[in-house]
Amino acid sequence: MTPATSAPPDDGLLLCYCTNLTVGELREACQSGRWPLADKERTGKLCTGCVGDLLYCLKAFGGRDVE
Amino acid sequence: MQPLLASALAPARAPHIWGLGSATFVEPGYEHIIELVHQRDADARRHLEALELGLYDPGGTLLRREAVDTREETLDLAALLGDQGPGSRIMIVFDARYDERIFPYRPHHYAYLRRRGGSAPALYYAVSSALGGVPDRIGAQRITHFETYLFLRRPHKERYSVMVGNLSRFASTEAQLTTYYTGGARATREVALGPKAHAEIPLAAEHEGRRIERVELKAPFRLASYVVGRREPDGELVLFDHLFTYFK
Repeated sequence: MTPATSAPPDDGLLLCYCTNLTVGELREACQSGRWPLADKERTGKLCTGCVGDLLYCLKAFGGRDVE
Repeated sequence: MQPLLASALAPARAPHIWGLGSATFVEPGYEHIIELVHQRDADARRHLEALELGLYDPGGTLLRREAVDTREETLDLAALLGDQGPGSRIMIVFDARYDERIFPYRPHHYAYLRRRGGSAPALYYAVSSALGGVPDRIGAQRITHFETYLFLRRPHKERYSVMVGNLSRFASTEAQLTTYYTGGARATREVALGPKAHAEIPLAAEHEGRRIERVELKAPFRLASYVVGRREPDGELVLFDHLFTYFK
């Protein structure tokens, strides 16, 4: 699984369909050191097709990887 | 590539609005009708808040986006494609938004598929969902992106294949497709898929004289996938069904 594009993700994009997380919410949480957010801690753990994009954005935003 | 339309989904970004991403594949010459109203939900019109389609060629290039009027009961994919009808397979991504009250029932889009002038019976299937849906709501502890399909135990006269598409926006992936035959023999193929790329992978109905029993698809994350059967010699579709996921 590898990143395929260097295009900056749009903040309004729904990133995780399983926990209703947007790109903007993830970006803000990573930048403020609040990732994982309290109500989104399951993001990436019980996800479907969202995982690849989540890992891509976590890397782009400098966030901690999914454990 | 056509310029993007303004997203039909933007107004639907509210805490109680959740998404479901699914996809199917379209070929020329078929009637292909998608149901937008969900029969298990009496208030389906109220709950389907928005639906935007994205059309992608096999390399993942966006050909077109189309907002769908959610008051419609069905969607005619052949009419949607119109003169832009595919010269080859096109993946249509359904990016839907629902009121969260519709879950945990996963509101699949159901489809009718039949070749124009063909003699094979019509096919009915649930559009393969790959983004969102059940896992976070059913109490599952683990999820694998491991899907399988069992073939009927009878002589096979069709050509089989698996259609698979990557619904990611950013991530490429590799999927592993393993075909199992009677007696335990198996054959494995790998396919690399960039974002929104898709492929049709042929399956041999026999391997060293052994009949195909099942096929498994493994990937780092869920992909849209279907098992396809084509009648010889004209290639008319006689099977089009999604693979099945196992939750742990």
